[in-house]
Amino acid sequence: MTTVVEARGLRKDFGALRALHGLDLSIEAGEVFGYLGPNGAGKTTTIRLLFDFIRPTAGSVSVLGGSGADPAVRRRVGYLPADLPVPRRHTANDVFDFYGALRGGFDRRWVDQLLQRFELDPTRPVGQLSTGNRRKVGIVQAVAHRPEFVVLDEPSSGLDPLLQREFALLVRELVSDGATVLMSSHVLPEVEELADRVGILRAGRLVRIATVDELRQQARQRIELRTTGAADCAAFAALPGVVDASADGNIITITVEGSVDAVIKVAAQFEVDRIVTHETPLEEIFLGFYEGSQ
Amino acid sequence: MLWWALGVLVLVAFTAALYPSIRNEAGFDEVIKGLPESMKVIVGYDPNVPVTSPAGYLHGRLFALLAPLVMLVFAISAGSDAIGGAEEAGILEPLLAHPVTRTRVYVERYAANLAMLTALVGLFALTVIVVAGPVGALEGIELTRLAGGCAAMLVLAHVHGAVAFAVGAFTGRRGPAVAVAAALAIAGYLAQSIVALSPSLRWLRFLTPWHAYLDRNTLVYGASAAAFVIPLIAIAGAVTLGHWVFVRRDLR
Repeated sequence: MTTVVEARGLRKDFGALRALHGLDLSIEAGEVFGYLGPNGAGKTTTIRLLFDFIRPTAGSVSVLGGSGADPAVRRRVGYLPADLPVPRRHTANDVFDFYGALRGGFDRRWVDQLLQRFELDPTRPVGQLSTGNRRKVGIVQAVAHRPEFVVLDEPSSGLDPLLQREFALLVRELVSDGATVLMSSHVLPEVEELADRVGILRAGRLVRIATVDELRQQARQRIELRTTGAADCAAFAALPGVVDASADGNIITITVEGSVDAVIKVAAQFEVDRIVTHETPLEEIFLGFYEGSQ
Repeated sequence: MLWWALGVLVLVAFTAALYPSIRNEAGFDEVIKGLPESMKVIVGYDPNVPVTSPAGYLHGRLFALLAPLVMLVFAISAGSDAIGGAEEAGILEPLLAHPVTRTRVYVERYAANLAMLTALVGLFALTVIVVAGPVGALEGIELTRLAGGCAAMLVLAHVHGAVAFAVGAFTGRRGPAVAVAAALAIAGYLAQSIVALSPSLRWLRFLTPWHAYLDRNTLVYGASAAAFVIPLIAIAGAVTLGHWVFVRRDLR
């Protein structure tokens, strides 16, 4: 397997602030790498180092065997920034034409097909588009030239569930055509469906690299049971995997690490009205890793 | 750009339209002669060129202050936008994710900037010829002198535009670019006024691009070589230094 991204001792300081503490990371060809971390952990800093927008304080990073500063490398890379600013009166077509020209042309039929799939009208000025639609412009722009390596910064934020599905399909297609994908996110669900491996970044340090299956076994979930009768959390506290159980009125809140099977089986004894599971922020899901690294 | 072009057209047309009404007002010249020395400097008065003559009128009304001021404001605004403003708006990073080098972005944005300013000054010159000619406001002015005056104006404005461009490339911000270039323009203009009024401070003239531009009526005598040489050196210096920093620093 060839290595698409290779970071060695990558460090970046912004004045007195150390944004990255000697990052070591390899992304292999053909994989989808999920880059997870809370906001401010250094995800975007890493991506900006890949593209040579900023220069490392120490260490090195290579992209596709070369430097992100090299136009020949950038030609083979697609980038979806967290925010793609476009002058308001330009249309999506203007964007594709402009960036396409910089690359020496693009596959118009492929772009038309993408526009259809994402239901985007390319003739409307970007200023009139909703946030979600502007996101689509960015997505299509990032893959218009069928790049070998795609970097997606918080890709599906702003997309409704239907389009998130379409987006996931697109990523799978790119990968089956041989592309490598790096996608950053601050929530696990955004990447768990697509990623082969996940790297967890906290305060500029990579605290864990694992496959999604490994993570699922360890990740914490928080479940709320709304019972009709009186709530009793004592029955849950001793179960395997339960980290925390508390009751407030008729709501039982349980935090579980790994499988929730035992909890569900005990819950069956109660008269449960509703089960609510929260999209727990990464900070909490991976509290274990964070605490362990402190 | 369209609005700027329209503004220049209106300014020149309005100025030219007023010329027939003052050309025969001999008293007007007397009024100007009676002005204090500092006021004469501001209107670019030259005792050998009556203000009611075409060259005196156009110089006083357009070339001595109003036209270079318009060009200067445009040059600073466009210059600070080209890299500083674009970077602040987050446009440069997506652009540089494509197969272009920083040098190419720098050079092409600089060239576009200079081209826009040249087009605006060119339009100004053309409008003067087309509008002022028919009302007799160009009588006795050689076309080469007019072209030289406009070229000197272009260079004067571009010094400030290039500084704004370079400071923008330095800092990645629009604000400092506008501030530095505007401060330079005001300081330069003040220095020129001081030079014109107090001969003992004449050495200051090498520090201000305004002096070489304003020390004579370019429509009568033509532009001096100094009006080009000193600013061109400054432009080359600013643009080179801006590039040196821009390709080395972190984007914001």
